Amino acid sequence: MNLPQPYARTEADQAVEVNLTINGTEVHLSLPARVTLSDALRDHLGLTGTHVGCEHGICGMCTVLVDGDAARACLLFAAQLDGAEITTVEGLGRQDELHPLQESFGRHHGLQCGFCTPGFLMSSYDLLTHEPGVQRDDLPAELSGVLCRCTGYRNIIDAVDDVAQTHRGTLPAPGNCGKRALVGRTAAAATGPAAISAESTFDEEPAERPQEIDLPAGDPTIHIEVTSRLDSNPTEVARVFGDIRLLARCLPGAELTDELGADWYRGRARIALGPMRMAFNGIAHIEEQSADRIVMKAQGKDAGGGALARIIMTAAAVDGGGTALQADASVFLTGRIAGFGRSLAGDVSRRMFEEFARAVDRAASGEEEPTAGTRPPGAISLLFGTIVDRVRQFLRRLASGVWRRH
Amino acid sequence: MKAAPFAYVRPGTVADVVAELSRDGSKVIAGGQSLVPVLAMRLGRPTQLIDINAVPELGELSRDGGSLRVGAAVRQRQLQREEIAAAVPLARMALPWVGHREIRSRGTVCGSIAHADPSAELPAVAACLGATMVLRTGHGTRQVPAADFFTGALSTAIEPDELLSEVIFPVAKRGEGFGFGEFARRHGDFALAGVAVRVHTSEASVEARLTCFGVSDVPVTVDVSQQLRSALQRTGSDPSRADLLSALADHTPDVAGDVVDTVGDSHASPAYRRQLISALAAREVSRAYVSARLSESEECSR
Repeated sequence: MNLPQPYARTEADQAVEVNLTINGTEVHLSLPARVTLSDALRDHLGLTGTHVGCEHGICGMCTVLVDGDAARACLLFAAQLDGAEITTVEGLGRQDELHPLQESFGRHHGLQCGFCTPGFLMSSYDLLTHEPGVQRDDLPAELSGVLCRCTGYRNIIDAVDDVAQTHRGTLPAPGNCGKRALVGRTAAAATGPAAISAESTFDEEPAERPQEIDLPAGDPTIHIEVTSRLDSNPTEVARVFGDIRLLARCLPGAELTDELGADWYRGRARIALGPMRMAFNGIAHIEEQSADRIVMKAQGKDAGGGALARIIMTAAAVDGGGTALQADASVFLTGRIAGFGRSLAGDVSRRMFEEFARAVDRAASGEEEPTAGTRPPGAISLLFGTIVDRVRQFLRRLASGVWRRH
Repeated sequence: MKAAPFAYVRPGTVADVVAELSRDGSKVIAGGQSLVPVLAMRLGRPTQLIDINAVPELGELSRDGGSLRVGAAVRQRQLQREEIAAAVPLARMALPWVGHREIRSRGTVCGSIAHADPSAELPAVAACLGATMVLRTGHGTRQVPAADFFTGALSTAIEPDELLSEVIFPVAKRGEGFGFGEFARRHGDFALAGVAVRVHTSEASVEARLTCFGVSDVPVTVDVSQQLRSALQRTGSDPSRADLLSALADHTPDVAGDVVDTVGDSHASPAYRRQLISALAAREVSRAYVSARLSESEECSR
């Protein structure tokens, strides 16, 4: 067993330095000794999959693996875990390849409200890896460390029993561990995969521009590829591409506030979706800029979380006149906004791009100078448009009989 | 529910731990599974926590002749897993009842004993086996037998500047058998009542010790040899478990009357706890006796 390093006294108002490996990524934290692992994961690393219920070791919602054994993250001070390996529910499976336990919970409807699900998944992972021969009759006692408030126990037992029977001794390891940037709820302060400071606050703007915007290495939260057909010809579009300030004004809700030189910009973007309002402060770096292609990276943070993105925009002539404006964006969401449904977030982003493309078209044709984005993009129209699209898709699927086949 | 701020230190040697303990308001943290809830609810506000997990010596689990020495940082799950701990079967029987797997992953054996919750399992095991607690300070070491160690609810013989550095459990001998059982409303909850039993049989004699927990402010140990002998007179010395259980059921209720010292709470009245103790005692004494006979007849002794 690895022992932690001795550590000299830290006074109550000082921070303790902690090194952890979380889902395969090494992180360094600097936090008060009284911060629990659950708070460190959620607040300092943006891993909000670990849920916090009672905060004194009764409910088991916060169960994670510490050096391979399930433990309650609310009963551990992060400072005590220096050198430990932690696996959270985020590390268990991937969006496109769920862990058999996750898949089984879904199939057996073992989630109900879902609040206890991360705890049950991590607890049952520990159970099935250490006691692969566990019998169904023992499951209620073995899983009693986690409580379900909607009393969905029967389905949960079914789900775990199913995996126990189909994977006797062959339960796959967590499938989503690897090097990635963990960006806390303090996104813009993160300067590298391992540099996350608990000291930064939401309001603080990066004092200096970083050397580079490091994108996480894992899969993006959303990946969008959209093409919009513009009436303007490529030469006209090139004029907009060449003028970053004009381009920024085309972005719904965005505002360029400062030019930092060497193709670095500081700005704000506001997005409103129903009751949700987010104001991102951030920076962007234009890596490549030509008449028909722009490559940029951006990072922004809001009190509710952060976003990092790499965006490639290309403009190409279309037969019969006009321009095809294509956007290829990988967006990494962190913090609370990451909990926002991925597909819906993708829809909203797509719609924002379409609005952007229309604005570029207007700017390119010179018919209308886009106004500076002081107003959030039409909140209702964004959401409404998204929902209308969803309904259309649904109707299409009904019409094509896709749903009837199931 | 967050702990109040505290200073934090993680020494690398026992000498440094006990030196830190001499500061006022210090508290040792190992697994923290009992301490952190106390801090979270701010029922305790130590000014300094001394994390003992970096002291290699305290993480040792070793066999020393007829003793199993369990260091202060040894996790409960470690005792369940490691082969060496099979020499103390009563601890192995009790551990599945200690909280949940999630708690046992981090919770330490010594931590549970030092915390001395009246309804906790490991203090009862220590009391039943007559374990020895090793307490260390800067000036020396003293060994306290379990009988003198638990002084009240959540209270022990540990002085503020002392560290419970290890617990020494006697290893099971030939002719010894054990039983452990408890009743809780839900698996993993604190017991409404529970018993730990050690029976020793040899050709000439039968001895039985019963330790009850969850019914008084400390684990209560009583000698139930007489009750077991009376039951055996009726069944013969080689009874089936069922026969012995029913014979014991007649002879153990009077024990419960003496050990239940609580006034009761919203979960269970004293009368209910006495019933639980009687039933559990009969069941576990018979289990312990049967396994003691089995161990006696085994060719090789441990």
